[in-house]
Amino acid sequence: MKYDKFFELAKKAGIEDCELNINQSTSLEFSLFHGEIDNYSSNSSSTYLARGIYKGKLGAITSDVFTKDSPEQFVNAIVSNASVIENDDPVFIFKGSEKYHKINTFNRELSKIPVEDKLNKLFELEKKIKEGDPRIIEIETVGYEESSSTLTILKSNGLKLTQKNNDFAYYGGAVAKEGEQVKTGFDFFFSNDFSKFDVDKLAKSIVKETTSKLGGHQCESATYKAVLSQDVMRAFILAYIGSAVAEDIQKKSSLFVDKLNQKVASKKVTISDNPLSKTIFARGFDGEGVATRNMVIIKNGILQNYLYNLTTAAKEGIESNGHGTVGGGSRVGTTTWYLEMKAGKKTLEQLCEEVGTGVYITDVQGLHAGMNERSGNFSLQSTGFMIENGKITHGLDIITVSGNLVDLFNSISEVGSDSKEFANGIKCPSVIVKKIAVSGK
Amino acid sequence: MISKKLAIEVLNEMLSTGADFAEIFYEDSHAASVAIENGKVSSSSFDITSGAGLRLLKENRSVYGYTSDLTKKGLMNLAQSLNKSFSGERLITVTKLEMIRGKNRNPIIKSYDDIPLKDKIDLVKEGTNEIESMNDPRIVRYIGNFLNNHRGVTIFNSKGKWFTRETEFARLAYSVIVADENGMETGFEGPGCQMDMSFFKDKAQPRKVARKAAETALLMLTAKECPSGKMPVVIGNGWGGVLFHEACGHPLEASAVSRGLSYATGKEGQMIASPVVTAIDDSTIPNEWGSIDIDDEGNPGTKRVLIKDGILKDFMIDDFNGRRMGREGNGSCRRQNYKFCPTSRMSNTYIDNGKSTPEEIIAATKLGLYAVGFAGGSVDPTTGEFNFGCSEAYIIRDGKVCEPVKGATLIGKGEEILKKIDMVANDLAFGQGMCGAASGSIRTNVGQPTLRISEITVGGRGGELK
Repeated sequence: MKYDKFFELAKKAGIEDCELNINQSTSLEFSLFHGEIDNYSSNSSSTYLARGIYKGKLGAITSDVFTKDSPEQFVNAIVSNASVIENDDPVFIFKGSEKYHKINTFNRELSKIPVEDKLNKLFELEKKIKEGDPRIIEIETVGYEESSSTLTILKSNGLKLTQKNNDFAYYGGAVAKEGEQVKTGFDFFFSNDFSKFDVDKLAKSIVKETTSKLGGHQCESATYKAVLSQDVMRAFILAYIGSAVAEDIQKKSSLFVDKLNQKVASKKVTISDNPLSKTIFARGFDGEGVATRNMVIIKNGILQNYLYNLTTAAKEGIESNGHGTVGGGSRVGTTTWYLEMKAGKKTLEQLCEEVGTGVYITDVQGLHAGMNERSGNFSLQSTGFMIENGKITHGLDIITVSGNLVDLFNSISEVGSDSKEFANGIKCPSVIVKKIAVSGK
Repeated sequence: MISKKLAIEVLNEMLSTGADFAEIFYEDSHAASVAIENGKVSSSSFDITSGAGLRLLKENRSVYGYTSDLTKKGLMNLAQSLNKSFSGERLITVTKLEMIRGKNRNPIIKSYDDIPLKDKIDLVKEGTNEIESMNDPRIVRYIGNFLNNHRGVTIFNSKGKWFTRETEFARLAYSVIVADENGMETGFEGPGCQMDMSFFKDKAQPRKVARKAAETALLMLTAKECPSGKMPVVIGNGWGGVLFHEACGHPLEASAVSRGLSYATGKEGQMIASPVVTAIDDSTIPNEWGSIDIDDEGNPGTKRVLIKDGILKDFMIDDFNGRRMGREGNGSCRRQNYKFCPTSRMSNTYIDNGKSTPEEIIAATKLGLYAVGFAGGSVDPTTGEFNFGCSEAYIIRDGKVCEPVKGATLIGKGEEILKKIDMVANDLAFGQGMCGAASGSIRTNVGQPTLRISEITVGGRGGELK
């Protein structure tokens, strides 16, 4: 076998347990500009991650290539990286779970569809966006992306784990102008079932996303009752659930320290991580090879579980709940796979009616700068609309929303029925929050 | 390594269906990093990036593909799959490749590859020890990182040219988390360079860098919430340049300009900023974080005056986007690595020195915000709407810097804000960052002297500024 030499050399060098984590992927992308293909890309690549325990410490190396020199290079790097580690974190090359759930995240039909058909849909999408509204003056971006990958983990005890994934996405962004005002809008569709793509629906959504922002003006700086869209909730949930990472709890650097079984959100809030859901985000095992399971994180506002990998779980003498990720260094990270916030029964219109007077925030920007996940404080450039007499009236031109994640999740008074799935593995509905600070005029 | 003979074969295969330009971008890079958490080494890593990106152009169409299979078979398969995008007669045949040698403006006297890991660990520990010596119970977690990257790039193209470039850069970063009964705050400092270890002995000493990160976090713990609304804002030098980077730098990249997707399209020669603003993108500054000897399509790095006394003069241009503008690339074509199709990007981008002093600007401000630390930002180049977050800021009252405030985000439209810069000081400095866009995450310097914006929207939770 191609990789046997690595395991042989590792054993000889005194590496107790080791593994190779191999990710092989291909991708196809194309985009249009003014009715012509302006970018076309076809790619294939591999990533090899070698990890091993040497004298009780974990060492690792990543490489895009596996050549005849790689086994020796990988072993040397594991030894030299492990040799400098000073902390006493328990480390593992996991031997395997008793049982793994079967996951189906690969659709054989996708690669059989001719590229021409995929391209024709894209031309159609561009045309339909352009013709969707006379105020659309330009198509900023319109493209197709498809990727396929196979992850294989080979362990020194002979265990082999494999998962295949594929998916595709159509996306488009348009520019609309009215008077001197210029606005942009963007939307996407992703799946691994090509028959589910509805070009009309996506084109209409992009046109609406873009043109609805026209005619807006800044509102008064004040605290408003608000509806937050699914896209805004996506950003806030990802930031807030990051506080459930056990490593940060153990190191006293999380908003959820000492909060287990306590209230961290209003009773309307239930959020789970569901890696075994039937979505393209499903995962049968985590980065360390631990079998995954569906798990409630917040139930009716009460924090139920932290997110563990093997190292953080061992520190508390419990089992990992399958949230480990591995990368180039010795440190094992923690992630979620498919977050779902439980939907309510009210439509967006009903949420707006309930708000009466307030704002509908549809988008937040600049999260890497304006969101402090440690303190929970955020101040973010936003897009939205005014709600007056229970109806959406006009757009809001360039505003910020500010607040604190703990206050925000505790002030959710209603949850909508309009759940939307996003490409980074999260599905959530719109909500009402009792107050959010808006900076405008 | 790809031999010259193989490069010619692959280029000719790429050109066989009528492309008017072909390029092979071969990369063999490696990076090493070490992390020290609460005084103990917690992680050490080594990463190898190796592969090739093939690019074909025909008029305004670009075809790109990459592979980590560097065998003749792997490269020829990729060339054949990409050339199917065109269906014309061959226009060009490559018969020879001439090596082009450029200046090395960023010499590394002693390679980081030859420095023992222990020395790098000792360097980071100088800073983590400093934080430990502060002995402040509010410091709950502190992490020091050292990253060094050695990037080897070879470019072959159908103009018969062959370029090679070796780059080394390094970054030392400290992040500190502090907490008390009122909450938790963070501090971060991360200076970097294309220079050897002497940079960290002279210009960015670990003790000072680490202490600054800890002190900022502790200061923010005591800070009140930032007020909101429109107000005058004095932006501190160095990292304050992220304002120009977002508000104007991205909209002046050919990727947006050439497609009419920037507010600056067609405005060359027009007044787009206040007359006190002169802005420059200069990739030739020796050993600076964003400098390049040659760009990622082989053009030499240059100094470009983008705005002179408020008038728009130039853009960051790559050869492909330049085609729509009737311009040649001016050394601005960059990419994170071979997995990204390159495009026009910034390098060391800054607003040049003005005539005021920082003290005069503060003294001339009756009531406003003084922002000195920044967490980054983002922009929509088409609308020019941008945001950036402040990690350290103070209220100015009656011309004096007063209490610290936290949680400030500044937002605006690039076109409007550039016209509202009414005072520029003479204390130009740079800050090192990573910029993410279509061709990946690249090293860029932001920079500016202290300057004032007469009015900008500030987002915060502290109510009205009084």
